[in-house]
Amino acid sequence: MLWLALKTLFHEKVRLFITVIGITVSTVLAITQIGMYFGFMGDATAIIRHTDADIFIVSKNVPNVDFAKPFPEERANRVKAFSDLLWVEKIVLTWGFLKLANGGQEQVQIIGFNPDTGIGKPWRMSAGMAYDVKGGRYMILDKTSESRLGGLVTGSVWELNEKRFRLVGLSDGIKSFTTSPLVFMSYNSAQSLVGNEGQTSFIVAKVKDKERLKSIVRDLQAMMKENDVYTRNGFIYKTVMYWTVQTGMGMAFFLTALLGLMVGGAIVGQTIYANTMEHLKEYGTLKALGADNMDIDIIIFSQTGISAVIGYVTGGAITLLSQNSLEKAGVTIYLSPLILSVLFVMVLLTCLFSAYFSIRKVRRLDPVMVFRG
Amino acid sequence: MNDLLEVNDVGKIYKEGAIEVLAVDSVSLSLKRGEVLLIMGPSGSGKTTLLSMMGCILHPTSGSIVVNGSNVTGLKEEHLPAVRKKQFGFVFQTFNLFSSLTAAENVEVVLRLKGFDRNRLKKESLSLLEQVGLGKRTGFYPKDLSGGEKQRVAFARALAGEPPIILADEPTANLDSRNGTEILRMLKEMAELSGKAVAVVSHDPKAEAFAHRVVFMEDGRLKD
Repeated sequence: MLWLALKTLFHEKVRLFITVIGITVSTVLAITQIGMYFGFMGDATAIIRHTDADIFIVSKNVPNVDFAKPFPEERANRVKAFSDLLWVEKIVLTWGFLKLANGGQEQVQIIGFNPDTGIGKPWRMSAGMAYDVKGGRYMILDKTSESRLGGLVTGSVWELNEKRFRLVGLSDGIKSFTTSPLVFMSYNSAQSLVGNEGQTSFIVAKVKDKERLKSIVRDLQAMMKENDVYTRNGFIYKTVMYWTVQTGMGMAFFLTALLGLMVGGAIVGQTIYANTMEHLKEYGTLKALGADNMDIDIIIFSQTGISAVIGYVTGGAITLLSQNSLEKAGVTIYLSPLILSVLFVMVLLTCLFSAYFSIRKVRRLDPVMVFRG
Repeated sequence: MNDLLEVNDVGKIYKEGAIEVLAVDSVSLSLKRGEVLLIMGPSGSGKTTLLSMMGCILHPTSGSIVVNGSNVTGLKEEHLPAVRKKQFGFVFQTFNLFSSLTAAENVEVVLRLKGFDRNRLKKESLSLLEQVGLGKRTGFYPKDLSGGEKQRVAFARALAGEPPIILADEPTANLDSRNGTEILRMLKEMAELSGKAVAVVSHDPKAEAFAHRVVFMEDGRLKD
């Protein structure tokens, strides 16, 4: 009966068009929202994910990586005493104001790392090298912040917190969840810039044996009562949960995506149901001629499924084609084959569910109606 | 056994809330091979209800129906489509063609339901439309066909897959006199040539001329 489903579906092109438009809009909305959510969460956890450390030690009750509070760096020595660790390093995360060529200023997020070890360095460079920040007031800015900061030319001199810094490199596509431009510099420069000598934001460490990670974290936590100790994944989870649940922002993204799916489902359900009602007599005839409920299910479900596939592919293509433009406008959209597959299943299930009422209507249809003129 | 369809003391009561309406009351009749049985009677006399029960579309409240030697009265609802598919061809008063299918495809629907393979579908549907004089209109959609042509397509569809019994409900009601006569002639010719059993429900007095046997219904009963 797939044949009859296709014939009917493609015969009524205007109705198909309306259905597909509904699913397409719904798909664009859902993919964009989910993509933006994962994009923002990707930005929010980028520093953690790209630091090659297994353990993050932060001030007590720090809710996420961006809201790090300084604590005495000497505590790193206590950590170094652990023989199970391969290395221990410190990273500073702080804030400053960068003076712009037009006289204005922009708040920036500053990452101070040890250029010798490279732990905490920018992970994608388009000009210069991370090591170039060593030995003076040198900094690296990200290319994506060019629209906010003005032309970024290596060798140029900028004023950061009223101190002059030379731009020695450009990172590429490194963004923070806070949307403030990121500035990378040496650990010492970052400390002296904000007058926090002797203070650090993170102590990070690599374990020798990953199997022992949890017990090492437990031991460190027992020893460092003034700090919180996280595994890498634990700190990522903490950060994601903060933005998703505590701020309610993640829920807003999910609700919008859900709303998109619901609107799409409603449009599909409505058009399929209207189509069913319009062809009720034909369904009755089909039943009288010997079609069973399975045949009817195949017709309605395949029409819905095909509409969903066309709508999803169209919506998906529109989103992917506009992804680059959106990212240029500063919106990070993260889409992976897994996300697209899960969303496809959700769109398909929403559409099939919305067809349920049509199925129920036809299943209950008494074929005797075909004899009524 | 010449009887393809036996209706034994069949009754049908419709319940509308607390009210029970006796639509068909103890009707017995049979339908033989090669025979056209005409069921006549005024509106509301129970003709169409009887035809629905004969075609296994409606369950009788009492009595039994035997189709091609098998008692179908006790069959569950889900088994009836298979009986209809195998044993019956239907012609309806309002043609009931699928608007999104061409004439040939309307015939193909039944062939597909009956599991015909792809190679035979086209050939068979074109041959049936040829038989009813629509060989040159096979690619037309119902909206582009006249009433007479639509009923011929419905007639070809009823013949698809060679069911032994054809049931026609007011087949001439929406046709002009010439087309109505032509449909009745074809029904009779088909019964006599292929040995099918045909039951026709009609108000049309000229239908009597094409029937081998006529029964009259009134108030749900067969009149002597």
